Amino acid sequence: MKNPIKKLFDDSAHLFTGDGKYKKYEPVWDATKTFFFLPSPKTGVMPFIRDSLDLKRYMSFVILALLPVTLFGIYNTGFQSGRAAGEAYSILKCFMVGAWYVLPMIIVSYGVGFIWEFIFAVFRRHKISEGFLVTGLLFPLTLPPTIPLWQVALGISFGVVIGKEVFGGTGRNILNPALTARAFVFFSYPVSMSGDIWIAGKTMVDGITGATALSVTGFEGQAIGSALSEAGYPLSSLFYGLIPGSVGETSALCCLIGAAILMVTRIANYRIIIGGITGVIATSILIWLIPGGTETWANAGPLYHLFAGGFLFGISFMATDPVSAPGTNPGRWIFGFLIGFLTVVIRVANPAFMEGAMLAILFMNVFAPLLDHLVIKYKTSKRIPNV
Amino acid sequence: MEKLKISRGFTPKLTGKPDMSLIRLPFPSTIGCSAGDIPFIRPKLLVKEGQSVKTGTPLFTDKRDTSIQYVSPATGKVKKILFGERRRLLEVIIEPDTQDEFIQFDPISEATLAQMEKADLVDRLKQGGLWQGLRQFPAKDTAEPDHTPAMIIVSLNGNDIFSPHPAVVLKENMDAFLTGLALLRRFSHRLVITAREDCLDDLQNLSPDMGGLITHVTDTAYPAWNPGAVLYQLKETQAENSSWCISLAHLVMMGQFLMTGHYPVDKIITATRGEYNRPHILIRQGAPVNTLTAPAAPGGMVTTGRFNGRILDPVTHLGFFENTLNIIDGAPEDEMFGFVRPGLGKPTVSATFLSSLFKKPAQMDCTLHGEPRACINCSYCERICPNDLLPSFIMKALHADEIEEALELGLLDCCQCGLCAYTCPSKIELAKILADGMDSHYKDSQYKD
Repeated sequence: MKNPIKKLFDDSAHLFTGDGKYKKYEPVWDATKTFFFLPSPKTGVMPFIRDSLDLKRYMSFVILALLPVTLFGIYNTGFQSGRAAGEAYSILKCFMVGAWYVLPMIIVSYGVGFIWEFIFAVFRRHKISEGFLVTGLLFPLTLPPTIPLWQVALGISFGVVIGKEVFGGTGRNILNPALTARAFVFFSYPVSMSGDIWIAGKTMVDGITGATALSVTGFEGQAIGSALSEAGYPLSSLFYGLIPGSVGETSALCCLIGAAILMVTRIANYRIIIGGITGVIATSILIWLIPGGTETWANAGPLYHLFAGGFLFGISFMATDPVSAPGTNPGRWIFGFLIGFLTVVIRVANPAFMEGAMLAILFMNVFAPLLDHLVIKYKTSKRIPNV
Repeated sequence: MEKLKISRGFTPKLTGKPDMSLIRLPFPSTIGCSAGDIPFIRPKLLVKEGQSVKTGTPLFTDKRDTSIQYVSPATGKVKKILFGERRRLLEVIIEPDTQDEFIQFDPISEATLAQMEKADLVDRLKQGGLWQGLRQFPAKDTAEPDHTPAMIIVSLNGNDIFSPHPAVVLKENMDAFLTGLALLRRFSHRLVITAREDCLDDLQNLSPDMGGLITHVTDTAYPAWNPGAVLYQLKETQAENSSWCISLAHLVMMGQFLMTGHYPVDKIITATRGEYNRPHILIRQGAPVNTLTAPAAPGGMVTTGRFNGRILDPVTHLGFFENTLNIIDGAPEDEMFGFVRPGLGKPTVSATFLSSLFKKPAQMDCTLHGEPRACINCSYCERICPNDLLPSFIMKALHADEIEEALELGLLDCCQCGLCAYTCPSKIELAKILADGMDSHYKDSQYKD
């Protein structure tokens, strides 16, 4: 018997294709159809057999890798909210409260972003790209749970339109669209993005700081390590992630799980991730060796730099966006390393923006073509010329 | 014996490896001389429908060099001349007689071979319809007789993974092979004879001399034995870019031709399908496809190679350069939620399917497994390219008409193995784009003088 869903698409095909009544909306119909049924047209030219991986599955794996971060983010939002309210919520309640804050952000991000995707697909007559499924989830995960939803809508609009579609859509953008969206919100509505509102909860209780780990510094000669512990950010909390912060970034562990999924399945290029972590470790050790400044992040050492803030989230999910990263392997090593380097430098040297990862990645996105250019120049100089 | 290892490439785990036995199929009712598999040719017909031809009579020639002839593989009447779009010659079909009548030349012994003028040898091969077996890099067009190649690459293994096994081809033809090698030595000082590692034992069992003859053993990863990949591994100077190559089948044919003085008409092919291990087939040159193999199921196709070659219409005939037939079946229907299935039986280069955990050979179908999308710079094509190219960058250069940049990136080193398009998750026809870019550059460069 024929699959009833298949039948529905087959029966409605004449409305959306060719001269159909709803020809304009073909991209939506097509996107829905290909979601249910993997299209498998016959190969027309050599090679006649093809690998089973397609872009839909490719992007699905990024979503899969984001699941631990997302679920933990929802839980942690509820947990922090409980702490702010001075209560210890049960696991279920943590998820419920967290979902109350986080799900609307994800829904708004997907909904508004999808509308833009759709508008461009209709006018440009291209297919709706699976890449948006990743952008639409990445963006809310980089935001604090208390952000007003209209800012989420505005941010994702900026990210999709200016970050991607004006360049011609998927595959042609120079910046990571989700980070472009975040940068827009970050610079346009700094009040929502920093300060004491990282915790999703209306009432603040004494003894719990609302600031993130990166804004902590020691004072009166207190070393940064002990200042962080005192503020409720010992290394273990930073690693497991039960701390205030953007939805997806707090748990280093979950980010590392995601990174491992991406590297093992070869969806992300391991060179970027390993290069980035190396960059952070090398740079933070180097800066740590400089005497003085024990109370600032200059003296935090590699582990604090790795596990605090959004670095691991950024390097695993944002920097590995293949479109805006370099396309050559040596380029990827340098790209990753410099993201790590810049993240630490910005954290140490720039008191205005505590979080360096976002700026470092966007900055290196811009330089990715240059890295490729240099690598290719070198590679072609080694080649025996044919002409 | 030197070992050649390609840096990347790919070892496909496919079912259907032909076994080592050989069967002879009966004489077919029609014989064709195909023009479809000959690259760059501008054919000019020399016969008319209804005309009688002998085995070895020229049927058509190449307008670019009319001394290069494509000859009849059978004696009989020209039954039909088949044209494609814009009257492009597809094939000349002959209704064969029961008895063969050959165009006869004087046999040449190995001793005379060494003394003959090079130009005479070339003439003889051209008249015999065999010169075109020698191909010249980078475009693999017919070799220029005046050119002295830095090396001639003889690949004992064919273009496909399951091309005829060299030991089966050489079993009866050792003498012809040696004569062929003596002939090649007249054209170049350096012969590179390559065999795939997994064929080496069978070859050495065949003749203990093989060990001395084979200069290089290649990896078993596809396409390490492709002459283009071999050349890329070996070349050290720019002069070597215009080396020649020849397949084992054509070398044996040349040897047979010199020894007997008439056009050799037998050919060993493999016809593979799915999981069946079939024997090698000995047939007449130019046999019709439908006598060699059952038709493909609806949605499937018959091709002359999995990774490169052409799609064959079952009513047409096998070409001069082709000795592999593949029947590739299509997928029964679009899979529901295909993109999230675990995929135990889905072969992949990536590690996104469970199949990558097991090394079981898989049966592949001729569907795209997805839809064309924009290039996302994932570098799967680079990861698999045997000749260290950056196919996606070359593709972008070609799309921007930056032919110089494409050449600088090594476009002409492409050996057209098809792996880049095989692996592309965005389903971009990289192999076709690169091949077209290379061909159009080659055609342009022919007009320079």
